[in-house]
Amino acid sequence: MQDKQFIKETLLESAHAYRAGRMDRRSFLALCGMSGVAMSAVMAGDAKAAADHIVMWNWGGISEECHGSAIGVPFQEKTGMGMKFDTSGPLEGKIREMVDSGNVTADVCDGDLFNAVSLGPTGHLEPIDYSIVSKDKTLPQYALEYGISIILYGYAFVYDTEMYGDNPPKNWADFFDTETFPGTRSLYKWANGSLEAALMADGVPGDQLYPLDMDRALNKIKSIKDDSIYWGSGSEVHSMCISGEASMAIIWQNRGKNIEMDTDGRYKLVNNQAMAMPGAYIVPKGNPAGREAVMKFIATAQEVPVQLDILDCLGMTPSNPAAFSEIPEEQQPYAITSAQNIDNIVYNDPVWWGENGGDAVNAFLEAIS
Amino acid sequence: MQALRKHISPGWLLVAPFFLVVVVFYLGPLLNILWLSVTDPEPGFGNYSALVTSDAMARILWTTFRTCLITTVFSVAIGYCLAYAMVHAHQKKQNIMLTLLLISFWISVLVRTFAWLMLLGHNGLVNNAFETIGLIDRPIRFMRNELGVLIGMIHYMVPYAVLPLMANMQTLDPRVMAASRNLGANGVQTFRRIYLPLTLPGIVASSLLVFILSLGFYVTPAILGGGKVLMVAEYISVQLLVTLKWGTAAMLGTLMLIGVLALLWIMTRFMQLSAVFGGGATR
Repeated sequence: MQDKQFIKETLLESAHAYRAGRMDRRSFLALCGMSGVAMSAVMAGDAKAAADHIVMWNWGGISEECHGSAIGVPFQEKTGMGMKFDTSGPLEGKIREMVDSGNVTADVCDGDLFNAVSLGPTGHLEPIDYSIVSKDKTLPQYALEYGISIILYGYAFVYDTEMYGDNPPKNWADFFDTETFPGTRSLYKWANGSLEAALMADGVPGDQLYPLDMDRALNKIKSIKDDSIYWGSGSEVHSMCISGEASMAIIWQNRGKNIEMDTDGRYKLVNNQAMAMPGAYIVPKGNPAGREAVMKFIATAQEVPVQLDILDCLGMTPSNPAAFSEIPEEQQPYAITSAQNIDNIVYNDPVWWGENGGDAVNAFLEAIS
Repeated sequence: MQALRKHISPGWLLVAPFFLVVVVFYLGPLLNILWLSVTDPEPGFGNYSALVTSDAMARILWTTFRTCLITTVFSVAIGYCLAYAMVHAHQKKQNIMLTLLLISFWISVLVRTFAWLMLLGHNGLVNNAFETIGLIDRPIRFMRNELGVLIGMIHYMVPYAVLPLMANMQTLDPRVMAASRNLGANGVQTFRRIYLPLTLPGIVASSLLVFILSLGFYVTPAILGGGKVLMVAEYISVQLLVTLKWGTAAMLGTLMLIGVLALLWIMTRFMQLSAVFGGGATR
């Protein structure tokens, strides 16, 4: 009996070593072979038994480094648990597929709050435990049953200052006015933000956007179709601006900052009527580290210093109201809830998007193609 | 056992393990897709009826078909000229041409797509050069539209068109053409009445290959189309990953599969499929 226990511990230890890269695959396989245990069995057992880390499923790039330093470090100090990453991007379809397959490998997804609305009721997500996570540390409308907003990102637009020197566009109405402001527009291909912008341009007040009047929005989008191109990723719209291909572009604020920098100020960000989008943490049903551990992780990410670190590193705006007033001076223009911007912004409704997003994206794609 | 052997050749036993692998890992998931297309979100043919009732679906399919058809026509036409030149060049030149062809064949579709943006984009080499020498005063829109998609796809597909054509042309007996000339036909007549009919299997093979591969194009239309050219592959991916309409995705996937199989079937009405793909041409 003792022997078995010993072998199991040795194997678990070596599984850790193998995962961390301290042991090569061949030695590990040999060890498994000697003890007559299939490698997959050890790895699978390991994932369940040794919940000593949180696996975050995010979008890769710089976010791996930023989430690690901003959340991972304080979380480890507090709980002793580490943090690992899956950087393949938690698209809704992938989360659903992962949970349906029964092989859940991620603990927390860096997703959108509308994902929580569409995937929660179908049983693909763990509900948020509000005895550990605080409802007060986010905007009140962004603490939902199956997800909570940790950061906000914003849709605003940039324009080419050389093109519109003396009379720059100031709002969405100008963005959609191709007579006064000729030039190519670039819009987000997956409808989000583009639809709201179109409605505001058509005269709908920012606080009465939802439920979105799809026909009205799509007609407005179609009205500038000949002058529009559409982007699918941040780097794509970035290059459209750098090359001068687009004279105006709907854009994420943190990306807008990079474009301003890379064009030496030729492109300028307009925050008036910017849209606050709740980026949320959601937990796939049956996550390997267990519900309590991941809730503690989410609670850590709500802390003011953590939120400010994320802003500094990743350019994502805090969603914790206590952090709004501490947004540093140089970040003010690019943080959607900064004192400079907060009075002129509108708020996305994740519930509408969660319930109608699929149809809206399809209708949008059909309108632009 | 004896009775069994009479009906089933023992050779099948050798194939059986591979056959099983194909059934389990390929046909199984495929059937699952078929199943999904009639069960998600609710049992029935609701997903398929969208083909008739939804204008958008028809438009996406038409865009895909049109783009693939134009790509096929141009790729095969260009490929025919290239293959003709290669087959009739000296061995050394032929090797150089083949190497160049294969190099472009091997470069990833992503790299080639972005290369076109560099060349023909708004601020690209061609537009910049034209502007500098004063030919144009504002950049020509080559990219982010259907033209861009076609340029990218045709360029990618030319090597696929050349290879079957070349294989076909190499098997032709040059004495046939010589005989035609000898009997008084001029060059054009010989080409039209002898060479072209003889290369028809090659043309069909490469058209088929190019068309079928084009149907699944995803990266090129997504990047060069500027969002305006929505083809089936991209639409399927959106339905799977973003809008979670797996039934629609499965339906379109099934439709593509049936389309390709139907194409192959139509081909067999006109010629032996094995001849098209280079095997047993003389039977």
